[in-house]
Amino acid sequence: MKDRLFEALKKGRADYVEIRVEMEETTHLAYRGREVESAGSSTFGGGIARACTKGGWGMLAFDSLKHLEEQVEEACRCAAFVGHDVKRSAKEKTELAEVEIVDAERPAKLKRDPRGVSLDEKLRLIQGYNDIILGADPSIESSRVTYGDSFRTVYFANTRGTYYMEERPRVYCAFHATARDGSLVQRAGDSFASAVTYDVVVGLEEKVREVAERAASLLKAPKVEGGPQTVILNHQMGGVFIHEAFGHLSEADFLYENPRMRNLMVVGREMGVKNLNVVDDGSIDRTIGSLSYDDEGTPTSKTYLIKQGVLTGHLHSLETAAKMGAKPTGNARSVGRRFSPIVRMTNTYIENGDMSVEELFAGVDNGIYACDAFGGQTEFEMFTFSAGYGYRIENGKIGELVRDVILTGNVFQTLKAIDGMANDLKICEGAGGCGKSGQAPLPVGFGSPHIRIRDVVIGGERK
Amino acid sequence: MRNSMIEVMTDLLQKGLETAKRLGVSAAKLGFYHCEWTDCKFEAGRLKDMGGRETLSYNVEVLVDGRKGNTSGNRLEDFDTMIERAVTLAKVGSVAHFDAYPAPGELAIVKTHSEKTLSLSREKMIAGCQEMTDALRAYNPALFIECSASRMESESLLVTSGGVCHAAMRTHWSLGASVQRTAGTDMLFAGYGRGWCDLNEFYDPGVIAQKIITDLRRGERIVESPQGRVRVYFPPETLARMLQPLFMGTNGRNVAKGESPLLGRLNEQILAPSLTIIDDPHRDFASGACAIDDNGIPTRRQAIFEHGVLKRFLYDLDSAGLATAEPTGNNGCSPHSPMVLAGGRLSGELLAEIRDGLFVRDLMGFGQSNIINGDFSGNVALGYRIKKGEILGRVKNTMVAGNLYEILKQNVLVSSDTDHEGRYPHCVVEGVSVTAG
Repeated sequence: MKDRLFEALKKGRADYVEIRVEMEETTHLAYRGREVESAGSSTFGGGIARACTKGGWGMLAFDSLKHLEEQVEEACRCAAFVGHDVKRSAKEKTELAEVEIVDAERPAKLKRDPRGVSLDEKLRLIQGYNDIILGADPSIESSRVTYGDSFRTVYFANTRGTYYMEERPRVYCAFHATARDGSLVQRAGDSFASAVTYDVVVGLEEKVREVAERAASLLKAPKVEGGPQTVILNHQMGGVFIHEAFGHLSEADFLYENPRMRNLMVVGREMGVKNLNVVDDGSIDRTIGSLSYDDEGTPTSKTYLIKQGVLTGHLHSLETAAKMGAKPTGNARSVGRRFSPIVRMTNTYIENGDMSVEELFAGVDNGIYACDAFGGQTEFEMFTFSAGYGYRIENGKIGELVRDVILTGNVFQTLKAIDGMANDLKICEGAGGCGKSGQAPLPVGFGSPHIRIRDVVIGGERK
Repeated sequence: MRNSMIEVMTDLLQKGLETAKRLGVSAAKLGFYHCEWTDCKFEAGRLKDMGGRETLSYNVEVLVDGRKGNTSGNRLEDFDTMIERAVTLAKVGSVAHFDAYPAPGELAIVKTHSEKTLSLSREKMIAGCQEMTDALRAYNPALFIECSASRMESESLLVTSGGVCHAAMRTHWSLGASVQRTAGTDMLFAGYGRGWCDLNEFYDPGVIAQKIITDLRRGERIVESPQGRVRVYFPPETLARMLQPLFMGTNGRNVAKGESPLLGRLNEQILAPSLTIIDDPHRDFASGACAIDDNGIPTRRQAIFEHGVLKRFLYDLDSAGLATAEPTGNNGCSPHSPMVLAGGRLSGELLAEIRDGLFVRDLMGFGQSNIINGDFSGNVALGYRIKKGEILGRVKNTMVAGNLYEILKQNVLVSSDTDHEGRYPHCVVEGVSVTAG
């Protein structure tokens, strides 16, 4: 493959050209209710050629390598068309940061390869989980248990001489329980994923049972009251919070050509409370958000976005780094073979604070403990995310279960409203992923210690 | 298409069907999709990116001993292997709730392919983006502007053991813009886009830019949000998103699995009498227009809610078997092209009657809650306060919440004017819970 890519790159007539080819095989099995819902597998291959001329980009996505030279030429023609567009400034030039030239092959290091596990065994596993859900409570109406694995091999080469091959495996299991009382329907769910071993989806019986019992309990739980409240976020919720509320704002493709945003997100700005440290690290050993090289061939790295409450960095591609005078961070990622890389997170987390979890709760007379996450969304300044479930906190103690816990806020205010961080950081790896610019779901890790935030707006009715 | 593969693939899929039969399947369906795509993007107000895609894919579904196996791929050289793999998967696969794919039925004639759309060149797409950029920049030179345009042509093929061999072609274009206005830490995002199968008067960069400018004008001033139980105005774009939970409720598979709150409520008054919601896949060139579903069943125009009364659930072939119902020709039990029938009064009149309310232009995080139950809670990403029938200014840090089934059962006013596709009107609802920070 290496020779094939470099041979085709010789046809490139542009300031910069790259080719990324991907092969992916997937398997999935799903139960829904009493029956198997689906059993499927797929095999896809293809890639994308990208070129840049005078700062203008051209790209061509393809399924077959048969006409790779022509596809490289067409991407270069598109780049030239854009680069020489009369409405663009004649001063524009290709600006891509320099990075080390890579020549590497990174095969997967799996502890237990899911491809070596039989379909029957995988099916028996999820059937067992499914039975637990359906037998957990009379109110359980339905279930969904999904198993999936994928094995993606990425080949990359560019005209700077970089080449790498990296295998990116993933295995996951997601389970959801649906409980019903008349027309009231409540759901609970959880998921686990790994880039290392099939064993991550084994032995989840207790987690599955908890999910089913929670769905049943949510039927009786009151809706949370709306309005500003003190909130403690657990690991997963804290991770989604920092991913949505701040992580996306750190992606430099939102900043580099927008002077007002650059001014707003200038390095050195006081962003949060004094002891707040926020990191993105794609080089953590083999999590689902980790990779050796990003989809532009840049080695991944640990990047402090906030250190001691002060904005210290952004996430970059080659272009954003060059145009902002920064070092590339290895965050140019694409969701698959048909897409250009854009700036994305990898594993994003808040570092440990200095409180115990008990101390954190003791400081709350009346508040909400928000646990796990259904999802989240941001429009930079504003964010919103929904908890899987929550509890009231009364006089420092965890109390009644509540449902429909959806939080919203302004990131600039909220990061300064954090008034406590525990020392129990955990990075979560689940079945879902991040979405941006039509590219979803991209595997990412996220995490946090338990954190406490004052005056977070919770959606819902006021009492 | 430039490189049509229908002839070659018809032959390959028919041979695949024979291979599947030799492997002992009782029924099979094979699908093929091939697409050519061209697009351009403007970033920071100038042309930044241009490109294309040519992609193909196939999918295989087989029935063996009453169980289904599914595979998909895009490497034609693996096609026979993928059929064999589907047969293997069927041994652990889902129980099929049907015995055979249906015989060919009479299909409506639905136009989905337009030569005019193929005349949309890269130069024209760039000119459209440039026109939107110029108009937005003229309104406010400090805006951060992004625009995009695309043109797509595709061909698809379905071959089933029921005797269906159906090829279809489709074209589509899209044109849209989005802007960001930043002042200190205050940000306003506004955007609008259009798409259609035929290149007609809908392709209008001037109208798209003007729509965004209207939002920017309305959002010039920040005002306090109303709170408590509030009357809310939803324009067509927001209404379209708000109705998605209803289609989870009318999804026949969700009903058969006991997950829909509408289970057992056919012919009940679920929504206000002003709301009639239909699925019409037979409108020429509309989004979702099609004559046949992916099991080879003819599609149909059908009412889902008639004057608020639940008239039917939507079923694909397998879910219909599961529910002992008739298939309605809906892939995944979802509507192809849902529409809310227009009401009797202009949207301007409905707006003018609101003494104190909220205009919700864009919701963030709407689908995050327990949405199948109808419960929603979303941040008002872009919304305005209405006072004495006038839009006063933009609200911030505001959440709306409620249960869709509850708020749509009350007094719902539906406008006579709709979006450009004629699919969604404007709508005013009562009693939405609004919380502001």
